[in-house]
Amino acid sequence: MRPVYVLGVGAHPWGKFPETPQVQLAAHALGAALRDAGLGWRDLGGLVAASSRFEGGLGWGLHANELLQSVAELGIPTLNVGGGCAAGGIAVHSTALMIASGQCEIAAAVGAERMPKGFIPRPPGTKDDPTDSDYLRWVAMGATNPVYWALEARRRMHEFGTTEETYAAASVLMHRNAVGNPLARYRAECTVAEVLASPVVASPLRLLELCAVSDGAAAVILGTESAARRLGVPLVRVAGYATATGSFGDPATRIPTISTNPVAGAPHTSEVATAARRAMAMAGLGPEDVDLVELADNSVWQVLAWPEMLGFCEPGQADWMLTHGEFDLDGELPVNPSGGFLSFGEATTAQGLLQVCELAWQLRGQATGRQVPGAKVGMSAILGLGANGASIVLQA
Amino acid sequence: MPTPTSIPVVDGLFDVQDGAPALVGAKCTACGTHYFPRRARCSNPACNGAEAAPVRLGPRGVLYSWSVQAYRPPPLFGMDPWAPYAIGLVDLPEGVRVMAMLTGAPPEAFQIGSPMQLRLEPLRVDADGREVLTWKFAPVAEHVA
Repeated sequence: MRPVYVLGVGAHPWGKFPETPQVQLAAHALGAALRDAGLGWRDLGGLVAASSRFEGGLGWGLHANELLQSVAELGIPTLNVGGGCAAGGIAVHSTALMIASGQCEIAAAVGAERMPKGFIPRPPGTKDDPTDSDYLRWVAMGATNPVYWALEARRRMHEFGTTEETYAAASVLMHRNAVGNPLARYRAECTVAEVLASPVVASPLRLLELCAVSDGAAAVILGTESAARRLGVPLVRVAGYATATGSFGDPATRIPTISTNPVAGAPHTSEVATAARRAMAMAGLGPEDVDLVELADNSVWQVLAWPEMLGFCEPGQADWMLTHGEFDLDGELPVNPSGGFLSFGEATTAQGLLQVCELAWQLRGQATGRQVPGAKVGMSAILGLGANGASIVLQA
Repeated sequence: MPTPTSIPVVDGLFDVQDGAPALVGAKCTACGTHYFPRRARCSNPACNGAEAAPVRLGPRGVLYSWSVQAYRPPPLFGMDPWAPYAIGLVDLPEGVRVMAMLTGAPPEAFQIGSPMQLRLEPLRVDADGREVLTWKFAPVAEHVA
């Protein structure tokens, strides 16, 4: 398996774009990535799409073949990957494999999503199915996505004494980072007082502590070392790339299930913890080597719990790290220098690709306004509905 | 069994025997892991796809966590009348942690660690005048503050 490099990255800003079809968002993002790399559409040897949930592809979600048929009928091989909100990360993994295996010299991963307003509903046209957990959680108890994170957030308050103020401080950090990110949807700073004054959605979580839903698109182009050198792009290697699914005994009650079977000692959020461990092992690195992490902050709870889950600090220690500035851009472990989901709103399947774009900008020193000093190793971690996890490690 | 004046919101997730309600789940025939709702097979890799047989669960447990939903969920959730309500996770003695609406106390009054008891309560009354029942957990009577 040969080494894989980042040739180009690009994204469409996050927001609401009811007039822009999903395929057009995807074309915009991939076009931006191609320009970033100094490539044209016809240089692509393969294309992977993070398949969206809500539109596109004749009802099957955004498909790479659909994008090519509308912009560049190259005849190249494509792959359409599922995995819910982890699909973007899974798409990067699949693209890296296309390069590493020798199948392609240059290949891209793209994701685009247009989200319905409000609580994420079941996909349009799905039937009432009592064997489908995603039907049961609605019809039997109305369990929205925020409730799942709220249950974890309250449990953490019970187990570690996390306070409402600390949760609010996590939101403040995410929004402060986004001031320096022109792609973010929400770019205004906020204070702890403002966060605590925002309405409770699912107690103890408040509106400013939960990510919105947005439209967005992002793309990553990968290639061989010789392609990277030929193009003269900064050398950023995909040092680790891994996906995983849930492990038996995981105590997390994952969306959209209505139960779990905890086994003592089993890892929480195992689908992500396992993917991250595999990616770091592949890169030959440990948590202490990572200079920044882009993680899936659907709520402020993840900003505290995920660094612990990923092995960056001991259980319960994240509160101290946050309140002592260690998650800041110039701290020990910068978390979501992009501003995170809290500043972008989640465009499900595109989000994992945006994470990798941010890692690349950071490692190239191009993250103007939110640059982590001396960033050499960046890691992404993302979770998808149905126990999907993905993690990408980039190294400059 | 639900009377002619009441029906379950979904079939097969709970029943009533001798007047006592219980959740209906499954138990692995090999390792003994319990699941809710029922399922055909155990997902413990050590069991190599062994079958799981139906079993009644609870009706008591311990509250692991809770939250109050302040905004009305989308229409697939038919609660009428609607008001903010509590949802929680309850640890059953069989080792399965189940999600359920909470009842029997004001929404903000639940406490992690409280002993809880299963109840069947109506979400709404349907067009034919029948109560549509779902499962909920309430604090065991002597532990309500």
